[in-house]
Amino acid sequence: MNIKHNIESDRLTFWEKIYIPEIAKGLASTFKTMFQPKFTRSYPEEKMVPSPSFRGRPVLVQEEEGGRCVACGLCSRVCPALAIEVQPAETDKEKERFPKVFEINMLRCIFCGFCEEVCPEEAIVMSQDYELVFTSQEDAILPKEKLLVPIKNLQDRLEWLRQYR
Amino acid sequence: MNVTSKSQIEEINRIRNHKLYKELMSQDVSLYMNDALENDLILNMGPQHPATHGVLRVVLRLDGETIINAVPELGYLHRGYEKLAENATYHEFIPHTDRLDYISPMSNNVAIALAIENALGIEAPPRAQWIRTLVAEMARISSHLMAIGSTCLDLGAMTVFLWTFIEREKLYDLFQEICGARFTTSYSRIGGVANDIPDNVINGIRKWLDEFPALLKKAEALVDRNRIFIDRMAGVGYLSKERAIALGASGPTLRGSGVPRDLRKDNPYLVYEQIDFNIITLNDGDTLARYMVRVKEMYESAKILHQILDKLPQGEVKLNQPKKVLPNKSEIYTKMEELIHDFMLINYGAAPEKGETYTAIESPKGELGFFIVSDGTGQPWKLKIHSPSATNLQTLSEMARGSMIADMVVIIGSVDPIMGEADK
Repeated sequence: MNIKHNIESDRLTFWEKIYIPEIAKGLASTFKTMFQPKFTRSYPEEKMVPSPSFRGRPVLVQEEEGGRCVACGLCSRVCPALAIEVQPAETDKEKERFPKVFEINMLRCIFCGFCEEVCPEEAIVMSQDYELVFTSQEDAILPKEKLLVPIKNLQDRLEWLRQYR
Repeated sequence: MNVTSKSQIEEINRIRNHKLYKELMSQDVSLYMNDALENDLILNMGPQHPATHGVLRVVLRLDGETIINAVPELGYLHRGYEKLAENATYHEFIPHTDRLDYISPMSNNVAIALAIENALGIEAPPRAQWIRTLVAEMARISSHLMAIGSTCLDLGAMTVFLWTFIEREKLYDLFQEICGARFTTSYSRIGGVANDIPDNVINGIRKWLDEFPALLKKAEALVDRNRIFIDRMAGVGYLSKERAIALGASGPTLRGSGVPRDLRKDNPYLVYEQIDFNIITLNDGDTLARYMVRVKEMYESAKILHQILDKLPQGEVKLNQPKKVLPNKSEIYTKMEELIHDFMLINYGAAPEKGETYTAIESPKGELGFFIVSDGTGQPWKLKIHSPSATNLQTLSEMARGSMIADMVVIIGSVDPIMGEADK
């Protein structure tokens, strides 16, 4: 039998033992808290504004002449959740390689940011986008067209990366 | 062996239950059987019980309301992380550690990074070490806030839970500022940390830290002189000093029984040698002692954080050793050599020497260790996780024996098991 004598309750004073002042104190604290500002946010109306360090949906950087990606496949290799699929193709332009297929399966993505960390071309970055709702599994597999985001929308993140990473 | 047919599954279940009940019946029963009408009752608590903090199943053998024996059964959240590690490079395994002890991912990241660095024979630069200490202590506070909040919630004191959650929420906002994610941080890297902490975030941490002890005091004062709370906590789930050591407990479970063991002092890692703090021990060995150890440790952590913020040095946050540590991004973009190293490190991984290393840190739950057996390639041959929750849960039957069934909830809460870590 492992019950020890209840030492702590002996240390309580008489007023603490009869419990009535404790109830009064508890109610007082309840009323006090009623007039304090609320901590929660009513979400769909008030949205969270993420800092540049936030790791949201991974996107591809789109410049005026096209995407930066050269389809080296490093992001696909490092991805711990195996969410990225890259199939390379070649052209005659200055940048010889480009991804024929670039898919990110958002059902698998764990937002670790490793793809962004290893990319040698600064082509894939984590955006500030955190509202990800899909109505079917097929919608969640994002093709290249949906992943490309103009570079001007990603300036915050790119600057943060250059400064702190 | 491939389990395919239904009869095989039934056979496995039969063997498992047989083992469980054998364990359960090991105690002498005649002592408790005063009345011929009394019969023992076998009761399953969990795995879907809200007070078991996840999917812990405890099989209880009851005599009336008294627990004669309790056997915890683990494994309902087994995801095979030790096996997964064998098929991933060391770098790839870092996000997996977020999901071990999912209440304090930051300290898990620090633990795995230290373990890999120990195997590789490298050391992170000073600023990275200090930043790691900073985030590990913040993780300790957030974990203990959760632990004391949920213990109080199990007893019906909902306000404490909500108030500690507000503080935890503020900490998670700070984690998001530091590394970009609230929960699955993946912040530490081999040879440093993922990114530097901006100065405005350091100021944010300082601002939070100035307010924190007063707010904790306020939340603590809700219950610390409450008669119902103390009656339900004090004297319940007693674990003696000798048994705690014998069963391999660690962390607050061990220190609550009066054993001053803390790896931060006993085997200093990171920069704990340069920091002044005390180990909290209480001698009562009951659930209240373990609860109070957690509360007091938070004040100590706040003290440590103040010292870290004052002493935080400037400099690099990642080691410059391109054969083992990922190079900086600006160098990858401009230099050929670093680009090649980037590709090599990701494809083949940083390879430690052939051999075995064990590295442990004092995580919020206790001693969290990683035992790495390397065969000289970029992937571990074996990666054993010594998780504090699994060892602490072994003390459960010792604590539960002889107490009332209603105390079981408090006892589980005081051990603070995280099943993601216990089942791996």
